Amino acid sequence: MNRALRDYLVFLQRCGRIAFVGDRRYYAWMGALTVLCLVGLNAYAKQLVHGLITTGMSDQVSWGVYIANFTFLVGVAAAAVMMVIPVYIYNNEELHDLVIFGELLAVAAILMCLAFVTVDLGRPDRFWHLIPGLGQLNFPASMLSWDVIVLNGYLLLNVHICGYLLYCRYRGRKPSKWFYIPFVFVAIGWAVSIHTVTAFLYVGLGGRPFWNSSIVGPRFLASAFTAGPALMILALQVVRRVTASAPALGSSGHAAAPGTSSARPATLDDLEKLAQHLPEFRPVPMEMRRKLLASTTILSVPAGATLLRQGDLDAHAFFVLEGEIVVKREESGRLRITRTIRPGGQFGEVSALNSTPRMATAIAEEPALILRVPVEDLRRLMQQRELGQVIHNRMTERLMITDRALLTLRGIVQVSMLINVFLLVNEVFKEFYSGDLHSESSKYLFLGLHGYHALVPWIWTAIVFNLVAMFLLVLPLSRSLKWLNLTCVLCITGIWIEKGMGLVIPGFIPTPLGQIVEYRPSVNETLVCIGIWAFGLLAYTVFLRMSVPILQGRLSRANEGRHLPAAGSEQRAAPARL
Amino acid sequence: MSLPEAPLNRDPSAPGADMSRRSFLRTSAVLASGLAALAASLSPLRDLDDYTSLDRFMQKYYKELTPQEMDRVLKRIANDVEREYGVRPHVRDLKPMDGVEFVYALNLTRCIGCRKCVHACVQENNQSRTPEIQYIRVLRMPHGSLDIEKAEHNYAPESVPEKGYFYMPVQCQQCKNPPCVKVCPVHATWQETDGITVVDYDWCIGCRYCEAACPYWARRFNFTKPSIPKERLNPDMAYLGNRPRRQGVMEKCHFCIQRTRVGRYPACLEVCPAGARKFGNILDPNSEVSYILRTKRVFIQLKEELGTSPRFFYYFDV
Repeated sequence: MNRALRDYLVFLQRCGRIAFVGDRRYYAWMGALTVLCLVGLNAYAKQLVHGLITTGMSDQVSWGVYIANFTFLVGVAAAAVMMVIPVYIYNNEELHDLVIFGELLAVAAILMCLAFVTVDLGRPDRFWHLIPGLGQLNFPASMLSWDVIVLNGYLLLNVHICGYLLYCRYRGRKPSKWFYIPFVFVAIGWAVSIHTVTAFLYVGLGGRPFWNSSIVGPRFLASAFTAGPALMILALQVVRRVTASAPALGSSGHAAAPGTSSARPATLDDLEKLAQHLPEFRPVPMEMRRKLLASTTILSVPAGATLLRQGDLDAHAFFVLEGEIVVKREESGRLRITRTIRPGGQFGEVSALNSTPRMATAIAEEPALILRVPVEDLRRLMQQRELGQVIHNRMTERLMITDRALLTLRGIVQVSMLINVFLLVNEVFKEFYSGDLHSESSKYLFLGLHGYHALVPWIWTAIVFNLVAMFLLVLPLSRSLKWLNLTCVLCITGIWIEKGMGLVIPGFIPTPLGQIVEYRPSVNETLVCIGIWAFGLLAYTVFLRMSVPILQGRLSRANEGRHLPAAGSEQRAAPARL
Repeated sequence: MSLPEAPLNRDPSAPGADMSRRSFLRTSAVLASGLAALAASLSPLRDLDDYTSLDRFMQKYYKELTPQEMDRVLKRIANDVEREYGVRPHVRDLKPMDGVEFVYALNLTRCIGCRKCVHACVQENNQSRTPEIQYIRVLRMPHGSLDIEKAEHNYAPESVPEKGYFYMPVQCQQCKNPPCVKVCPVHATWQETDGITVVDYDWCIGCRYCEAACPYWARRFNFTKPSIPKERLNPDMAYLGNRPRRQGVMEKCHFCIQRTRVGRYPACLEVCPAGARKFGNILDPNSEVSYILRTKRVFIQLKEELGTSPRFFYYFDV
């Protein structure tokens, strides 16, 4: 028991420590976010002293950008977990390792939500009045009390799931299904509930006809499912860019063609071929290349041939010269493709260097030419500065964020955006066609009312963004990452406006007594918002900084007491992998 | 526990004393400048004078205070007010009377739109003067329409009444089914047995959900520290009524609880030069309001369709 506790504390300590280590870019990014956080904190300190008069809010428009951001972020939190559905219900393999990034995003989003509601409180010192038992939580009558419960519950659920899976990976233990699968399914239902409850917060107010409409809940979900995965698509690419260069879209499913394997000693021409695909090999001197010829072998294999098998023990690493190799790992009785290797790529080196059993099986996807290198020669090659660096980097970039995973997310964004726009059309029709007096808020929002039209440019920007995004999503164009990224940015911005400013503010204009007072966020209020966003990004970055090395196997109990390797150093902390 | 790792130390094979000292110095420099930046960003809090007392922080919910605790709280409030305004107030915790349910009736035929009620209310109830918080909003409506969306809030003619308009003062409607009470996440606002919806200013967390929920725009928020000139303070106070509020909490019309629970009329009624305002106990068949609701052929509950069931009735002399 004591030992388990000690292990856990060491785990936490190492996680905490790693958050403070990184390269120059990392320090610059974290430094900038920290500065913005402090600026936001400073603005909030001013607000605490002088009151919410420092914001643009008034008795007429009594909620502003704080609650708007809160509403948007609840959606992000809900949708980030929804990535779990393709993985656990449809067994989508590509997304499997990425679920944890979704859950971590949910945690960061909920933290931001809690921060946004806290800064919106007039008396944050009385937060304890909300704690059941201590205070007087008005449950179940007040929808806000439901929100308190579901948001905090959701935070706990996700912290548990992420924390448990990461700790198991750290320990090199197989996670016990009973400890997380039930929670995953609860979290899926819970994700829907947090967003529905947040919608009901508005829907339940009979005195505000703009909100008092049953379509708000479905619209919330549709827009959340658009913005959340869109944000994931962008975040995953950042993770990929920072941690690794990803494999291209692999084409699995080729039928194995008949053929035979053959082996022959390597020639200088073979090494030259490797140098073509792997430029870092070029500086390797001729003398060393000649030495290599004595020990290396060229394997010529037909499609479907198995090059190495999970669990085997041997001391060779491989470089692909021609063809394509897929690496599959058996997990819970199923083989799943972990990556595809193209000419110039390497596999088998980690387990060879560590003298551990193969962690996965490598199969030729098409007829292939492979260079087999004994581990001693690999070590020698890795002393070459550039080559050693690239080989080392590749070993640590085993976290697969495939394009196919991103395209699966694109599918979710696509369908949700179509539904979102459809629901918006429904709402606009209902508000304008009958022309009753309850549509004043909508008139104010879309057209302006009695000469007041602060929100009109915003909502039309949002609508244009959403429509353009919708068309891009329907077109095959958005299968290319460049266009997909643009689409995602449009989705996120469009929905942020539509759901934030476009939903919260017009609900207050005109007031129930017909008065029109416009709202414009103050500078101080904006700084607080920027601070909270920076805090959220900071939290998410730290989560990724901790979880990526754990998922890659670079931070594990096996290498406790050792330093994380600096890029290119000989000392590796990576445990047995492939 | 394992020895702490030295992440800044690039060469783990030769961790010389010099290196670790340098990394220690660098870490402390980063730490110190970080703390300095944090302190600088929090420096506006030096002017914070509202969060100081532990007593206030720990104060219990109104309905959970024992009579002894209530006495202590009232004494503390009196001390606070005396310190701030130089006047010893008379603060009481007035309970609702048995067999009483207050209703308000307002004669739209008589109201001339002079807004005297608005200002009497501010004076009576110790509302903040800058910015000024008002519980009553008088709407100017064109003849022939009861559509609130056509109301003018900022009418300012030479003299009232104006031709072609009538006036409709709106304040808390003291609903039988109050949306504001339902939505409050901490029970800081509730309906008393005499029908008055009150706020515990010391329990409200300032989320303003009630303000969003109210269909009559009757609730007000203290966006900053209320300021009342010392000489204007009304020292006759009730806990759930007109005692001075603090920054960041809601307040609203409470039918002048400090007056009506001791048998007086609300300030807005007393000041009305047109006699448009009537107030009383609906459970007493001989009261004026009972008579009005029994005999007037038309009376209106504002936004009746919302099901809030106001205790505030508008009527016409027909």
